[in-house]
Amino acid sequence: MEELILKLKNEIIEVLNLEDIKPEDIDANAPLFGEGLGLDSIDALELIVLMEKTYGIKIKDPNEGKDIFKSVAAMADYISKHRTK
Amino acid sequence: MRLWITGSGIVSALGVGREATLRSLLESRSGIGTVRFLQTEHTEFPVGEVPMSDEQMEHLLGIAQGTPTTRTSLMGMLALGEALEQAQLTRDDLRKVAFVSGTTVGGMDRTEQYWLDLLENDKHNEFISTHDCGACTEMIADHFGAFASVTTLSTACSSAANAIIYGARLIENGVADIVVAGGAECITKFHLNGFNSLRILDTTPCRPFDATRTGLNLGEGAAFVVLESEAHALSRGVKATISLDGYGNACDAFHQTASSSDGEGAFRAMTEAIRNAGLTPSDISYINAHGTGTPNNDSSESAAMQRVFGSHIPPLSSTKSFTGHTTSASGSIETVICLLAMNNSFIPPNLNFNDSSDCVAPVAKLVEGVELNHVLCNSFGFGGNDSSLLLSKVKPASESRQASVSARTNAFPRPIYVLSAQHISAQQPFSRDWMQNPVRYAEPFVRSIEPDYKPFIPPMESRRMGRLLKRALAVSKSALAESGVENPDIIVTGTGLGCLENTQLFLDALCREGEYLLKPTHFMQSTHNTIGSLIAINMGCHGYNATYAHGSISFESALHDAMLQLCNTYHTTALVGSHDEMTPSYYNLLCKSGFLGNPGEMASECSVSVVLGENSRGNALCAIKDMVMLYQPSSNQLKQAVESLFSRNGLTSHDIAGILSGFNGSEGSRKDYCDHCGELFGDIPMLHYKHLFGECYSASALSMYVAACCLAERTIPQALYVTPSAEPVSISEHQALVLYNNDGKNHSLTLLTAV
Repeated sequence: MEELILKLKNEIIEVLNLEDIKPEDIDANAPLFGEGLGLDSIDALELIVLMEKTYGIKIKDPNEGKDIFKSVAAMADYISKHRTK
Repeated sequence: MRLWITGSGIVSALGVGREATLRSLLESRSGIGTVRFLQTEHTEFPVGEVPMSDEQMEHLLGIAQGTPTTRTSLMGMLALGEALEQAQLTRDDLRKVAFVSGTTVGGMDRTEQYWLDLLENDKHNEFISTHDCGACTEMIADHFGAFASVTTLSTACSSAANAIIYGARLIENGVADIVVAGGAECITKFHLNGFNSLRILDTTPCRPFDATRTGLNLGEGAAFVVLESEAHALSRGVKATISLDGYGNACDAFHQTASSSDGEGAFRAMTEAIRNAGLTPSDISYINAHGTGTPNNDSSESAAMQRVFGSHIPPLSSTKSFTGHTTSASGSIETVICLLAMNNSFIPPNLNFNDSSDCVAPVAKLVEGVELNHVLCNSFGFGGNDSSLLLSKVKPASESRQASVSARTNAFPRPIYVLSAQHISAQQPFSRDWMQNPVRYAEPFVRSIEPDYKPFIPPMESRRMGRLLKRALAVSKSALAESGVENPDIIVTGTGLGCLENTQLFLDALCREGEYLLKPTHFMQSTHNTIGSLIAINMGCHGYNATYAHGSISFESALHDAMLQLCNTYHTTALVGSHDEMTPSYYNLLCKSGFLGNPGEMASECSVSVVLGENSRGNALCAIKDMVMLYQPSSNQLKQAVESLFSRNGLTSHDIAGILSGFNGSEGSRKDYCDHCGELFGDIPMLHYKHLFGECYSASALSMYVAACCLAERTIPQALYVTPSAEPVSISEHQALVLYNNDGKNHSLTLLTAV
């Protein structure tokens, strides 16, 4: 799981172009949206693309993403249970 | 001044022409269905396609097979033809008619079809020059003859509404007697996939304002209206039943793709339109809502209508349930639908509506036999470019109310002051070093010199901005800081190709990897108005906001709009800029088309922002006294334009220190400028700047910047003389500079004086 969390942090930094942020700056349990990293609705759409492209997980309803993208740890947990790639 | 609508034409999923459209509306028959013409894998999304193939439209228009066209321009021609015919305008009349069209997609349908060929071979090179928005407008116009001027607005889904507003201003300011304005846009895979990446498309017929709505259906089409003053129409014996009595344009300044929850921009646009017409909210008999069917738009628009009308919201409907969302054309398509409703006394229904539990309730069934005296037509675009038009029935003169629009004075042109001017270009950014020590290049294509953006843009904001957005924001902030104007009243932006890098990333992914998993961040930046709206969002500027995308005259178009407003409205300051970037592969395409890469010239990129004020505040760089734009003038017309520019400003050739021309060193450019300069300008010295700054669609903005520097410093550097001068020449107090740009079709003359 630790390995997946680190991989995921790097992928988030890359797809969201988070200049100046390093994996260790992201708290795996901190909220990604609103507070914490302060991501918004467009970032959520980018994360949906990331989930499908990299892990083969389709998220049909963006509202579903709210729980999945609560934190990096939550994402990793969801991925480990649902990945098809 | 009352603006009459003396002609209209329309093409949409409801058919070609007013008659077909009217029939569908009265029969409550939607044009939305399964995709037929667009070659897409996304057949799950219903669309509102114009029920004709490109070939059928070409045939109807009498266009020879093999002529390069775009679907946008074909639909535009059909609509324009109908509008001209109703207004009784023939080919011979067009010389005094201005044409203003809105589009965002332009020729993208052909570009996406041939993109990989364009990059890799020479099979379809004829479709390089049909890509940009301005080229589409010119194609539509040229089918009918020689218009006096052509202009392209590009504010995403409010483009056509803003084209009509600019058209109205041209007449109110005495710049044109007759204007044909509207918009055209075909469906492309590019924006179908873009909207899909934003997850705002519905897989079932759209349900605007319904609580179960989940998104929009894309539509396509074109519509134009002919505007002229009542007096002018009467003088040539034409009549009208509907007038354009008011309009409002405001910026939501909230988010690139989402509307604010309280609908601030929409509220301001509707309020301004009603006030502008001298009416009150209770006068409105029907609202044709923007009503896209997305959860966000309809709740935001509902909130705005509740703020404007309180508990007395007039009957409203979204006719996007008939046509689909016709994006850039929606403003004019829905204006013509309003004309049909007003003339035939009915309210078109909002189809597929059942559940009013979270929005205002629209009219769900056709209502007939209702008199519609004053109608609001809403059009909102990405970036919060929100506009509203107010249409009224023309009453017999005896009953006629005095519209407040008539209070406007015919004050254009008068001096408008350049309070500051900044650039990021091939020369040192934010610096006038080029006047003494210009950077010299030998390469045919150079990128702009990028400054450090961190002082201007925090990293969390800049991460989603391509190079051009960063540049545009930094240069705008820098110009505003220099001028001392914190929040400009209006923001008007020009761009030839918009955020090309991100547009191309989206296009590459679409063509190489297919129609799935495309990045919303790239799509968001592909609309031309991303730049102007980003600036507004950043400054919290809710004022007028518009973007012009017409090749080499994008900047002049933006400048002209700003000048008209500063001369003639309560606005006192304007941020005007033009911004373009170039990618290596698009540079190669433009070399193949002959626009760039010619011996003697250098291609580059630039962002320029100027802050204009209607008073000088004691520290202006120079004044803009006058400007003229002409489309394909004869040499005689051009000569007359120059003479009249000088004489009406009381100037002789001795008062002009130089003609700052767009000469770029190539042979073609020598023909466009140098061969005629003696005839046009006598012995006034010819100046140039593109050998230092490079050629690009926004280059004419650099001519404004360069001239402002010269006039502020009262000197013309030696490097600017086409025929070298031994010494730098000083500019005396009353001397002027003329900017002359000519792209082979569009000519502009701008008169600047020292202050």
